[in-house]
Amino acid sequence: MNVEISRRRFLQGSVALSILGGISLSSDKLFSQESKDGLSGEKKIEDVPFLCAMCVNKCAGFARVEDGVVKKLNPNPYFPKSRNMLCPRGNAGIHTLYDPDRLKYPLVRIGERGDGKYKRVSWDEAYKAILHGTDKFKGILQILDEEKDNRSTIGYCNGEGLSKEGFEDLMGQKIGTPNYVDEISICLETTLAGYFNTIGTYGEADLNNCDYLIIAGANRAEAIITPDTMDMFKRNRGRGLKMIAIDPRYTNTVANADRWYAINPGTDLAFVLALTYVVLKEDLYDKDFVAKHAVGFEDYKKHILSHNYTPQWAEKITGIPADEIYKTAVEFMRAINPIYYQGRRSVFAKNDFQLRRAMAIFQGLSGNLDKKGGIIYGKKLKLPKEDINAPMYGQAQERFDVSSVAIPSGKTGSWILFRNMILEGTNPYPVRAMFMRKHNPMSGVPNTTKTEQFLRKMDLNVMIDILPSDTTMFCDVILPEASYLERTSPVASYGFLEPAIVQRKAAIKPLYETKTPEVIYKELAEKLTKPLWKNTLKYDEDVQDDTKGMNAGDLEKYYKENGFDLTDLYEKTVEEANKEKVVKAFGEEAWNILEEKGVYYPNMKTYYKKINANTSEYYPDDKKFYTTKKDKLKVIMNFKNLAKKGVDPMPKWHNEWAFEVPKGQFRLITGRHAQFTQSGTTNNIMLRDLIRTNYLWINKDVAKKRGIEFGDKLEVKSSVGKINIKAFPTDRISENQIFLLHGFGGSSEEMEFAYGHGANDARIIEDKVEPVYGGAVMHETNVEVRKV
Amino acid sequence: MNYAMVLDYQNCINCKACEVACKEQNNVQLGADKQRIWVGQTDNVIFGNLFVNFYPSQCNHCLDAPCVDVCPTQASHFVEGGLVLVDQKKCILCKGCMEACPYDARFVDDERVAVDKCTFCYDTRILKGETTTACQATCPTKVRMFGDLDDENGDVIQLLKTRKFFVLKAKEGTVPKLFYLVPENDEEYALQSIGHSNKIYTWDEMSPIIKAAKAKRSMQWKKS
Repeated sequence: MNVEISRRRFLQGSVALSILGGISLSSDKLFSQESKDGLSGEKKIEDVPFLCAMCVNKCAGFARVEDGVVKKLNPNPYFPKSRNMLCPRGNAGIHTLYDPDRLKYPLVRIGERGDGKYKRVSWDEAYKAILHGTDKFKGILQILDEEKDNRSTIGYCNGEGLSKEGFEDLMGQKIGTPNYVDEISICLETTLAGYFNTIGTYGEADLNNCDYLIIAGANRAEAIITPDTMDMFKRNRGRGLKMIAIDPRYTNTVANADRWYAINPGTDLAFVLALTYVVLKEDLYDKDFVAKHAVGFEDYKKHILSHNYTPQWAEKITGIPADEIYKTAVEFMRAINPIYYQGRRSVFAKNDFQLRRAMAIFQGLSGNLDKKGGIIYGKKLKLPKEDINAPMYGQAQERFDVSSVAIPSGKTGSWILFRNMILEGTNPYPVRAMFMRKHNPMSGVPNTTKTEQFLRKMDLNVMIDILPSDTTMFCDVILPEASYLERTSPVASYGFLEPAIVQRKAAIKPLYETKTPEVIYKELAEKLTKPLWKNTLKYDEDVQDDTKGMNAGDLEKYYKENGFDLTDLYEKTVEEANKEKVVKAFGEEAWNILEEKGVYYPNMKTYYKKINANTSEYYPDDKKFYTTKKDKLKVIMNFKNLAKKGVDPMPKWHNEWAFEVPKGQFRLITGRHAQFTQSGTTNNIMLRDLIRTNYLWINKDVAKKRGIEFGDKLEVKSSVGKINIKAFPTDRISENQIFLLHGFGGSSEEMEFAYGHGANDARIIEDKVEPVYGGAVMHETNVEVRKV
Repeated sequence: MNYAMVLDYQNCINCKACEVACKEQNNVQLGADKQRIWVGQTDNVIFGNLFVNFYPSQCNHCLDAPCVDVCPTQASHFVEGGLVLVDQKKCILCKGCMEACPYDARFVDDERVAVDKCTFCYDTRILKGETTTACQATCPTKVRMFGDLDDENGDVIQLLKTRKFFVLKAKEGTVPKLFYLVPENDEEYALQSIGHSNKIYTWDEMSPIIKAAKAKRSMQWKKS
């Protein structure tokens, strides 16, 4: 069924709802609005600076608010990162704010898990249900009592965003569990780690001055990253930036590139090793730079040459002709400012950490680091950090999921290993509750069947979110959060070439009965703090020793001084804390500028220049932070300590990484489009007009042979599950590969616009992990496809 | 005043930010086929190689607009600045203008029960003092530049004087006002997408055509 709702009618509807809820507009305001419209036509119009949260980029904008209703989101010209633009999702944010399917009130489960039966409750009742449970599920107090105050029996997860740190502080630092998983291990963990461990930064590619770009497995036309996307597509194709795209698919980025090589999935490392071979064999690298900054260059040279990573060798693995590899290597080193683009995406193959190391080293061989046109380190404007008085819990235990990986990330762990160990029962102690926020592992973590089993295994699931996602529908207590346009968020600092401080301000008050995340954290802390403290006193021997014989007053003092008082994080509101931090670091005037423009950086008043309607200059060229690392810059080619962890100290190809697909099967690859962000935006009616569903890309010739035509229903089956999806035969993909967009095919019927459209890739992606950090490997699943 | 739009279409990545900004700004009816602006796509295989090229588009606000001529109720009309607008109260949905438009720039707004199309944000932005259209302002790669062909020092004229450009369907003779800049160092790119027969202009060649068309039709421009 097609549901058409006009925006006008829809906005009217939302206003009416909020009036009924008594939240956003009082009744006398409603009347005054009517009289205004009727008589003078005057409206109260405001432009409120906000930071977008439709994806991770945090582009800046101004929300046009008319009489308490957000009518239009406009780009903010002052932010050097987003450079006066909003993408389709940024523009459509209004329809996330006014999404009729939003979580509007706290809910408590009254049916069975997953059947969608909930009762609307007050916030107090919701907190009470978290503490004490109901007849359907256990509360956190009972769980911690049964587990003798082992705080680690609580797990938590959170997706990316400005309020994430606050949730980590509450759950990790104050409540005291180490069992945290987030988006990093299903995203770019190995990219960051590979670069940090090699050149000391992930860096920023200076695409305004770069003249030769290899962009591999990164689709900047469709997976928009600011400012990279804006910069690179203004200078490509004969305009100063030569772009070589490496991708199994013909993407919109490929459409804008000078050359394209359709590489076999998962073999980028062989490509980079062969480029490196050419450069070392023919002495094309920057000798001065290498002499000054490389660590272990001679070892690396010997390693690459002795392994014979020749272009001919790489051709067999990657499918890219040897002479093209040779040509690319030579062109790269002859360019003045070449960049092998770092990329920023999920782990595609098990060798991803080594791939990133090899890329960073290759960049190092060009010498194009820490300078104009290269990968720059830049500068970050420092904001004061608040100390957290974190209590010590004697009964809490260490996290267990990363014990099998080489370099455990203590903070964020590995989603797949965490989930699977709990399912398999190989965890040394139970994890019985999940506190979740703005995260949808049912769609994001490979093997949805296991994620569902994991959620069903918990005694208590709590969700803080704005929409009833697939994961939300497996939760026992649901706390509705204010969306990004309804909240002022902790002030943030954006670093690199043109650093700035940015602030998201609430355009309107929270709709319905929603609350901002920071208010929810505060109230949770207030409700939990004393009952949990009593549980600690009951079981924690260290605390018992410390507090033996104390009177009530001393005990209270001990509780506060040692951080057991969970509420001490929330003495200031977000607004107060923001002001205090900014004034302390940059002064009162900086705060005033930030409040008005949403952006501040030192000397902004003299530096910022509007060049024309489209373009602004943020920093004069000689004030940009092109070179900041100088003599401290190191390129670690031979990383000997890695060997101690069982990891190759120098990037090396292993034959088991070769691309192989059994006859008749296909390699599954996934990716993104510019018009949506994962599952979170699929219910947005404006974006739905642009992309309603996902299709299965299948090679045209293969489709023809199999009698598959556009729109035919296909079943795609892997070892972990199957999906049904419509066919899109195309020239843009190789014969033994298929592609589908990630994020569609949700199972939550409460997301009415998204439900029933497309297929969820996580249902068929096998849950494989890469061995260094435990990141989820997305492109190593072979599937069968048949017409149904 | 003679409003026009210059498009550095080589920058386009087909993200469709412009389409959403337009819909939000102008309360355009929802629906995938209800678009005042769109991103056209050339999809070809040339000598065995895939070739894809994007050209964003919308109403050309033709100086010699056939849609205005065919309208029986004067719903389609010119206003000051040479903009072509639709007075939706007068529209009887005969759809003659939709037939007459060479660019397929018009569609039926089922809610207002009238034809709808791009206004260059005249009512929603320009009359309120803004100097950009919503599609221009939001574009990540800054494809569009909106401005006045009569303003010799304006950005639009500066671009047209320094760059070569083409218009879509020049042969229709409607004197359209979307000017597509020819990629500076990659003319082949343009030719592959628009065809080798399409005429490429300089401002010296285009200027008299515009002058003549304006002289012919500007008496019809209604004062707003």
